[in-house]
Amino acid sequence: MALRIERLIARQVWATAFKNRAFFGVLMGIGFLLVYAAVTGWVSFRQQNAMGRQYQQQARQEWLNNPDKHPHRMAHYGHFAFRPKAPLSVFDFGMESFLGNTVFLEAHKQNSVNFSEAGFSTGLLRFGEISLSMVLQLLLPLLLFFVGFGTVASDRETGTLKLLLSQGVSWQQLLVGKSLGLIAVMLILYGPVMLATGLLWFGLLWFGLQGGAVNADQTLRLLLLLGSYFLYLSLFCVIAVLVSARCRTAKTALVSLIGLWLMLTLVLPRASQALGSYLYPAPSKAKFLADIQADVLKEGDSHNPNDPHYKELKDSLLTAYGVDSVQKLPFNYSGFVMAEGEKISAQLYNDHFQRLLAIYDQQNRFSKTLAFVNPYLAIRNLSMALSGTDFASYVDFQQQAEQYRYDMAQKLNELQIELISNQKPGPTDKPHQIGKNHWQEIPDFTYQSPGVASVFRHETISLLAFIFWSGLLWVVAWRLTKTLTAL
Amino acid sequence: MGGSLAINQNLNRSMIRLAFIQFIRSGRYAGAGIRIGLFFLLAIGVISLFVGKQFAQQQQQGITDVVQFQQTDFPRQAALHHDDMGLLLYYLKFSVINQTRPLTALAIGQRDVNPSVQSVTIRGLEGQKYDADLTNPANLLLGNVDFSFVLVYLFPLLIIAFTYSIISDEKENGTWSIVAVQSRHLLGFIGQLFLLRLAVVMAVMLLIVALAIPVLGIPLDGVLGLFLGTSVGYILFWFSVCFWVASLQRASSTNAILLLGIWLVLLIVLPAGVNNYITARYPVPEAQATTLAQRKGYHEKWDTDKTATLEKFYAHYPQFRQVPVVDMPTDWRWYYAMQQLGDDESAGQAGELRQKLEQRERASRSIAQFMPTLHTQLQLGELARSGLGNQLRFMDYTSQFHEKMRLYSYPKIFTNAPVLAEKWTDFKVDTFTDEAPIHPLSVLGTFVLFIALFAGLGWFRFRQTIYHL
Repeated sequence: MALRIERLIARQVWATAFKNRAFFGVLMGIGFLLVYAAVTGWVSFRQQNAMGRQYQQQARQEWLNNPDKHPHRMAHYGHFAFRPKAPLSVFDFGMESFLGNTVFLEAHKQNSVNFSEAGFSTGLLRFGEISLSMVLQLLLPLLLFFVGFGTVASDRETGTLKLLLSQGVSWQQLLVGKSLGLIAVMLILYGPVMLATGLLWFGLLWFGLQGGAVNADQTLRLLLLLGSYFLYLSLFCVIAVLVSARCRTAKTALVSLIGLWLMLTLVLPRASQALGSYLYPAPSKAKFLADIQADVLKEGDSHNPNDPHYKELKDSLLTAYGVDSVQKLPFNYSGFVMAEGEKISAQLYNDHFQRLLAIYDQQNRFSKTLAFVNPYLAIRNLSMALSGTDFASYVDFQQQAEQYRYDMAQKLNELQIELISNQKPGPTDKPHQIGKNHWQEIPDFTYQSPGVASVFRHETISLLAFIFWSGLLWVVAWRLTKTLTAL
Repeated sequence: MGGSLAINQNLNRSMIRLAFIQFIRSGRYAGAGIRIGLFFLLAIGVISLFVGKQFAQQQQQGITDVVQFQQTDFPRQAALHHDDMGLLLYYLKFSVINQTRPLTALAIGQRDVNPSVQSVTIRGLEGQKYDADLTNPANLLLGNVDFSFVLVYLFPLLIIAFTYSIISDEKENGTWSIVAVQSRHLLGFIGQLFLLRLAVVMAVMLLIVALAIPVLGIPLDGVLGLFLGTSVGYILFWFSVCFWVASLQRASSTNAILLLGIWLVLLIVLPAGVNNYITARYPVPEAQATTLAQRKGYHEKWDTDKTATLEKFYAHYPQFRQVPVVDMPTDWRWYYAMQQLGDDESAGQAGELRQKLEQRERASRSIAQFMPTLHTQLQLGELARSGLGNQLRFMDYTSQFHEKMRLYSYPKIFTNAPVLAEKWTDFKVDTFTDEAPIHPLSVLGTFVLFIALFAGLGWFRFRQTIYHL
């Protein structure tokens, strides 16, 4: 039978793990945490999305209920965009809590996305959150280290190792067997977590609790998550066995593995991010806004009657239509000026915003690249991206909201240009306005989540890191089989 | 008799000296590990000071930016809208700063999430009050490497590394029986082994703080005293836990797993669990409700009776009823009355939101009383003025500041006072200084309780097991 010896050794690892009473205690504890994570993930998903939907509808209803008005009044009445949670956010909360979820959309102004959970937090949030992914990323590797630190080192201490090797078991068979045994232990937690995730995900989509449906894109995301977590956790199984094989005593193996775990999950991620933000400081909000304003003033200030850009625009219009004052133009002049102003300011805002994003990208580059040194960072970034809870998904929301804002403002400017008289109403005249039937010409805001292809684009490094890790493990294990000794 | 005591004391003293040398130097692996650990902690402690320094500089830069903006923007806007006070004040953004203390750099807390500068126009407050800062969420998610992180997360690890095999190692090497036979006060000897390590760890912590004082310019005041007290209490707490675990007389590996398990539960699992609980227990849909109510409250007034709006405004501010109506390009009195009503009609939701946040703050404070790790983190934040409490007080102050600017501006707008008569460069950026009192007992009480508990348990257990060889 193929791999007979490996399977024998694997079975021994499994049996040893389950002989330990403390192991059951830890399993129970982790099981409890998983249930807690699944429940709170589900509850907060339901809460936020139900709330978002309710307020989105309310905001839309209030928009439609507006009576006849001047279109520019509507441009300031504005609309809201509420950020929905992605279905897989029940699995990985990612950056969710640090991202705003409500943005007010009005003419001339790009408002901030407000009300992040972090802003309302007492600071406890900074200790982290319990999600299914957190248990898999952080706690399970440590558990595997606890179970695996003695796999080879204990055999060496008790002398069993010498016996095994002298009986003709090769190092290769031994390491493969031990790793397989540990992977089997890993599966008893990985399996249920992934099953629970699949069920939650399916439930949310199937019962229409989320706008989407079970589709190819969502399924691919789930499958990729399944695969990458399996690889990630297997990696830790092999690391545990290799370190155990290298260390003289089980105690040294344990201490080394704990040190490694702390380095990978606690120190390196923070340190690399700190280095990134230290080297590439981002501008303060005041500076960011002041710079945009300065550029707008340079380009053309629509609120300044003497601005050269708009003076030129006015003169060319007057010449083209052969009239001597803007009141005689066949369309609403101030609407035209506002459309131009919106175009200029939105363009400049987007330029500056892109520059800001580029700085953030630089800040994040260290921790992203460190994925090649640290599998924890690789899985963390990839998992967030696949779950739709990463920064790229958030930026995508912001950009869709901004696009909606721009289209809304320009549509209302268009209505003003076409339908509002060019003459100022006298003090006794009825104010200019257009019919309320126009309000529904502007569609409601609906967020379209980006396809999984965007994940490949943003997380190329993490994906490459995974390939790298798999290759490296294979090479190291192969090399070690040649150099290890029984004593 | 007296002679043998003297010999014994001498023996004890030389054993302690040996213990120290052993702790720092001996053993090819352990000694090197301890030196590396100490060096690593000291290095990261120093790095944390630079992180804090950069944070302080960024805050300072933010303040400089906003002061500069206000200094150039106000005169520019005044020149542009020189004949229309109402329009000018529509645009002017008055800024208020949440003062950053030097100590804040040691415990950045929530200060990187929440804006330290708020800029508000005299229009509706509720639409501006919650404006988020510009942040890179990846930075927020991974967290700062500030002193509080080093203290709360890393110091316990060093303490665990120093003490997990303090007795079990001797037992495993077979030297414990010799020590036990030679020492007359074995418990005292164990105590001295712990004190030795405590002294080294304390020295590292104090050295970092001592460096912080000149680097960050921290004043030597009572707040720093409490900050240090909290740090010392936290370190003592972990030593008492390690002392208790040592008293269980298990194998080194078991001790290591047990202590790391405690670390994991106290620093990762429980805090995160409590956070999940508080978030789910006190959700804040009032935030969105407030903004929606504010928008509706203001905008629908454009289409309702003007006199009714003004009447409601006068009901809020009777003093403006007497101000005679003057002719102006836009009916600003009506306009600002509408804005005012946006705030007035969303006051209910805004109050509920404020209350929910208070509840969150109170709930986490009471839970933290039973978890020294949470308590330390929250307390350092409170002392450094970087917690939610500070943020709430800053928001209250922003509201008062906004009200003050409104009351200053309304009479000028309603009378269309000449814009150029006002000296716009005199409007300085305002600063909020958090002076909320902090009671030393509430800071240190938790520590005293938990240290007594674990040290007592350990002592009791040791008395039973100390001669189990």
